Amino acid sequence: METKRTLFLIEVAIFSALALVLDLLPLSFKVWGQGGSVSFAMIPIFIVAFRWGLKGGLLAGLLYSILQMAIGDAYIVHWAQALLDYPIAFTVLGLAGLFAPAVQAALKADNISKFIMLVSAGVFVGTSFRFIAHYAAGIVFFAAFSGDMNPWLYSLVYNGSFLLPSAIINIVAVSFLFNKRPKLVAVAA
Amino acid sequence: MNKLMMGRYFSGDSFLHQLDPRTKLFATLYIIALLFFVENIWGFLLLFAVTFFIMHQTGIALVAFINGVKPLIWLILFAVMLRIFFTGGGIVYFRAGPVMLSSFGLITGFYTFSRFVLMIFISTVLTLTTKPIDLTDAIHALLKPLQIFRISINDFALMLSISLRFIPNLLDETTKIVDAQRARGVVFGKGNIIQQMKKLVPIVLPLFASSLKRAEELADVMEVKGYQSDQKRTRYRQLKWQVRDAVALLMIVLLTAAVVFVNRL
Repeated sequence: METKRTLFLIEVAIFSALALVLDLLPLSFKVWGQGGSVSFAMIPIFIVAFRWGLKGGLLAGLLYSILQMAIGDAYIVHWAQALLDYPIAFTVLGLAGLFAPAVQAALKADNISKFIMLVSAGVFVGTSFRFIAHYAAGIVFFAAFSGDMNPWLYSLVYNGSFLLPSAIINIVAVSFLFNKRPKLVAVAA
Repeated sequence: MNKLMMGRYFSGDSFLHQLDPRTKLFATLYIIALLFFVENIWGFLLLFAVTFFIMHQTGIALVAFINGVKPLIWLILFAVMLRIFFTGGGIVYFRAGPVMLSSFGLITGFYTFSRFVLMIFISTVLTLTTKPIDLTDAIHALLKPLQIFRISINDFALMLSISLRFIPNLLDETTKIVDAQRARGVVFGKGNIIQQMKKLVPIVLPLFASSLKRAEELADVMEVKGYQSDQKRTRYRQLKWQVRDAVALLMIVLLTAAVVFVNRL
């Protein structure tokens, strides 16, 4: 039992570091010029989420966000924006872990099409919640910095213009990757 | 690559470099909060002066701080423009429907701009003068109260240090794989989105596989050496409260008093 716990802690730690590395490297490709870059950074978080379930996913996301802030890679302009854009936005990616038991079962039954469908659903849920968090952060940001003129709309325009397309591309990328190597998700015995 | 490895930390031995990371983290958060209490132009001038003094103290070139603002410049300008053109009051120089240029608008635009830039400068001071590993210790100290919710802060701190420790190794490994692919003639950053994505697959897959293996090995080694997550642990790096930390806190108190005073002008 103890062995599993240590392995859990370390796997979460290393995969969070991996997420940061994938984000730091100029491997990501620009889609929309300004800010709309798509990287593979979210994939390690999803891998942990599917391997270890909800707890692992949430923890990996949280750790990744703290790493970003510790490295100085984060952009912080308001305390509520900081909370929403980093700890909350990345922690909710771990909600993909809700699908972990079903994903593991599908993998065991060798039902690959069901497996891919469940993985995509998990990624979709995680990314959607991340979008909501960034959207809320945008509302806080525009409410604080642009007076009280309709921050909902500004946030939607600003975030929607690049976050939504990037979210869709991420879902495609992740499903594609897991399709190639479903074993990544299998739990260590 | 070296630049990425170290995060954004610049080594040095200034007053700020030597401050306890806990003091620095607290002071940074405090000054950012203070920015929201500044009510007039004198307050902003005061904080600009203080911030530039702090930045000068670090002994790091101004360029490093400006670089922190760069990625955000469009967002800042967007917010400032909104403020300038949609705030009425004072002398109105120009008006077209809801859009106008007024003296109040210009002033609030300046406030918005200053708040932003100062916030980025101050947080940049923190990340430029503090090693990520020290910042982790500070975050650990700051999160300690969470222990009452039965969250294991020690486990979390362990994970943070392991992550930070492995970032350079993982970066190395990734560059090696990328170079290997390049040597085989793969060109990155070309083609449509689907093509680019396909090129990244042979990079990330081996990386994930080796990370899983690494995690397993590390866990085994830790167990063999007697690691148990629920045991009380002692620390290798001890944080010590020193005179300079008291001095820094005193300056924070003085700054608060100055802001309160200036707000009344």
